Amino acid sequence: MRFATIARLGLGLCVVALAISACASSSGRHHSAGTLVTVREKDFRILLKPARVPAGRVDLKVDDVGPADHELIFIRAPRGGPLPLRRDGLTVDENALKSVTIGVLEPATPGTIRHLDATLPKGRYEVFCNMAGHYLGGMHAFLVVT
Amino acid sequence: MNRHSFQPLASRGRHVVVAILCTFAFSSVLTVGLSVWSTARSKNKAAIVEVAGRQRTLAERYVEQVVLAREGERADPATIAQDLRESGRVLLEGGTAPPVAGDDDEISLPAEGDRIARAQLEQERRLANDLTAAGAAILAHRPVSSVHLTAGEHLSRGDATDKLRALAALESNMALNATRTIAQATDRNIQNLIVLQAALGAGGLLLSLLLAWGLIVITRRQTAHFRSVVDASTDFVMVFGPGGCRYVSPSVSRLTGREGAEVVGEAVFSVIHDEDRAAVRTAAKLAEPHELVFRVLDASGGWRVLEAHVSDLREDRQVGGIVLNARDVTERMQLEEELTRQAFHDTLTELPNRALFRDRLDHALARSRRSAEPLGVLLIDLDGFKQINDSLGHDAGDQVLQEVARRFLAAVRGADTVARFGGDEFAVLVEGADEDQAIGTAGRLLEHLAAPVSVAGRELVLSASIGIVLRDGATATGEDLIRHADIAMYAAKENGRATYEVFQDEMARELGALLGIEHELKLGLERGEFKLHYQPMYELSTERVIGVEALLRWQSPTRGEVPPARFIPVAENTGLIVELGEFVLREGCRQAAVWHRDESVEHDLVTWINVSPRQLVHAGLGDTVRGALAETGLPPHGLGLEITESAIVEPGTNGERARRELEELHELGVRIAIDDFGTGFSSLGQLRHFPIDAIKVDKSFVQGAESDAKDATITSNLISLAHALGVLAVAEGIESAAQLDWMRQFGCDNAQGFLFARPAPAGELYKLLLDPPATPPGSTAVA
Repeated sequence: MRFATIARLGLGLCVVALAISACASSSGRHHSAGTLVTVREKDFRILLKPARVPAGRVDLKVDDVGPADHELIFIRAPRGGPLPLRRDGLTVDENALKSVTIGVLEPATPGTIRHLDATLPKGRYEVFCNMAGHYLGGMHAFLVVT
Repeated sequence: MNRHSFQPLASRGRHVVVAILCTFAFSSVLTVGLSVWSTARSKNKAAIVEVAGRQRTLAERYVEQVVLAREGERADPATIAQDLRESGRVLLEGGTAPPVAGDDDEISLPAEGDRIARAQLEQERRLANDLTAAGAAILAHRPVSSVHLTAGEHLSRGDATDKLRALAALESNMALNATRTIAQATDRNIQNLIVLQAALGAGGLLLSLLLAWGLIVITRRQTAHFRSVVDASTDFVMVFGPGGCRYVSPSVSRLTGREGAEVVGEAVFSVIHDEDRAAVRTAAKLAEPHELVFRVLDASGGWRVLEAHVSDLREDRQVGGIVLNARDVTERMQLEEELTRQAFHDTLTELPNRALFRDRLDHALARSRRSAEPLGVLLIDLDGFKQINDSLGHDAGDQVLQEVARRFLAAVRGADTVARFGGDEFAVLVEGADEDQAIGTAGRLLEHLAAPVSVAGRELVLSASIGIVLRDGATATGEDLIRHADIAMYAAKENGRATYEVFQDEMARELGALLGIEHELKLGLERGEFKLHYQPMYELSTERVIGVEALLRWQSPTRGEVPPARFIPVAENTGLIVELGEFVLREGCRQAAVWHRDESVEHDLVTWINVSPRQLVHAGLGDTVRGALAETGLPPHGLGLEITESAIVEPGTNGERARRELEELHELGVRIAIDDFGTGFSSLGQLRHFPIDAIKVDKSFVQGAESDAKDATITSNLISLAHALGVLAVAEGIESAAQLDWMRQFGCDNAQGFLFARPAPAGELYKLLLDPPATPPGSTAVA
């Protein structure tokens, strides 16, 4: 009886650990063993290389080459058309996308390289910069996980 | 206490202080300069930020004006577009940004220098151009898609107004972004400045601390240096104040053997000599005199002489007293005393010398004039001392002089002054002595001198000739007295030596005559007043003339015939004997050569020439003889040289050279004879090795042989000695047949003397050589 309780508790901890590992993480110093995707942000375009990766652990290496500061929001692409905008008509409504948001990198100055890790199942994903006008100016791209 | 003695360290200390001040000044100037520069830059950055912020407003207004204009409302988008573009250019390149619709004044901007901010401002300018181009397209009812966008944006969503708003948002965001970048750069610069100023301050402080530490080290070293110098110095430093001596250097303690407390205060005067104490007190109180010599009792109980320099440093806050800087001059003073003593004393006998004697004589004369007491000066010359020096050497002579000095001191009163004038000349000053007392002193001097002296293994009997002079009148000077004593002494020598003479005025006149001889000798030599006479020498076994002795004669036009005993000593003393000797040699050789070439004369006739000791010592005798032989053509074996015993034993290099020259001449064939043998001090050892041909026995032995058994024995022994040495014995001065008989009995080889012939000019002697008397020599006197 006690043993079964302890076994269930241990199993629960393992599940939590796995869940944590499935979550995205970002760090200045990166040692991920996942598939590397180079994300190049420049005014006003986002280039992914490669744009198609196998399912599993993915390491987004985000390089802002400027000249403007850029952020990066990583979401599972919702079905349908373009992303919904806020009432200002200039920025994406991030609140509406909370459920599909995988990770966010705050604005960084040009020349900064950051990483964003995630374990991704098959699907279509999108990255975009949501600084005022940047999304409308063309700063978004898709990542296909097969 | 002389501050300048520490100048090097003091200079270094000053240098450090200057370095500290310079460091502070440099650090302050740098900090202030950086602050001013940074403030100016911040001001510029603020203006840039302000203009960049204004671009956002202009972009929003532009969109509104375009929308209004498109709806037909009153609007002026073109002016805003122009301001937007101009401001974008000025932000990037610098210049004056235009006012915005009267809200702001013109703002002057520098060109932005930050790389990232410049890139963002360039992008902002492109976006401003794209925005105004899109606005213009809308107003011209053209699609926005027809506008060539330059900032990399891709507008695909919404209608024309949406796209214009998106462009305005991009432009605003870029302006905001540039503003943020500039602000961040400014923050970084301020942070860097703070760090730099902190580093400068810390560095300056650290450097100043290091320099201050260095200064402390230097100061400590300086202090240690001062202490070491003072501690190790052999100089003595004493600082005097109101309470007596306040400080003494360790050297004072070392000298006196007393610790510091025992030589400070009044206690220091306890080690100063009684006679010097007052002077030191005065100097310590008044700083006068500046130079001071005083005596200090040292640890061993002896007195050391210190020479001090007195410095008044009462006004010096560092010292506040009178400083005596002294050094030990005891040895120097002793040396000075010794030098003074040497200057006034004879080093050989330790007696006062002529200078000190003159000084004492002058003082004694002054006293004598005041008190009218008599005063006497005795001048003493040892008899025959030169012979002692010549025969026994100078060391023996020095011993004799020292012994004479001791005896003279023993013979006089303690108050009398015995001095040595040089050579064998002494003087005695007898104060308060009349003629009888002076004569008494002279007698004691001779009496003390008469005891035999043992020198160099021989017993010598000394005697002296003493001249006495008494102060005769108030005008007599010391020089007069000495000169008169000298004249009297000379008179004593003339009178047979070993005696004394009291100066009389007529002696001075005689001396003048003697002095005249010297001058006339020189003239006589030049005028040819000298002639040679010859005395024959007989071979006793064959009774024939085998030689002649050349003898110098002077026929003075003023004095008549001057006996050799009168002028030879003068010539010896003046050195004229060398020139006279050369004359005798050349003239003798010339005459001998004449006889030698004459076939009527015996072929083996030898002409004997006397060579004086001075002539021997004088360099060049060998050359002179060889030159005379060469000039006259006389064969060397026709010439004989008569030398004194002293020539054999003459010490030093001159003696050795003379002997070498004689040996060379003997090897050449010249005969050599020892003259006046028996009266000197020749060594048998030296005689044995010296190449001689004959020994001439002095006439005093020869003439005494007939009446004195001792003389007879001596003569016999001398002749035997000659034979033992393998040389001929010649008897001199034979004046009677009895003497001749004795000589025959003793086996003497040759003889000469008045019994045979008196010295005669060459012409007369020639007759004798050609026609010898029929009667045997000794039977009848010749000439």
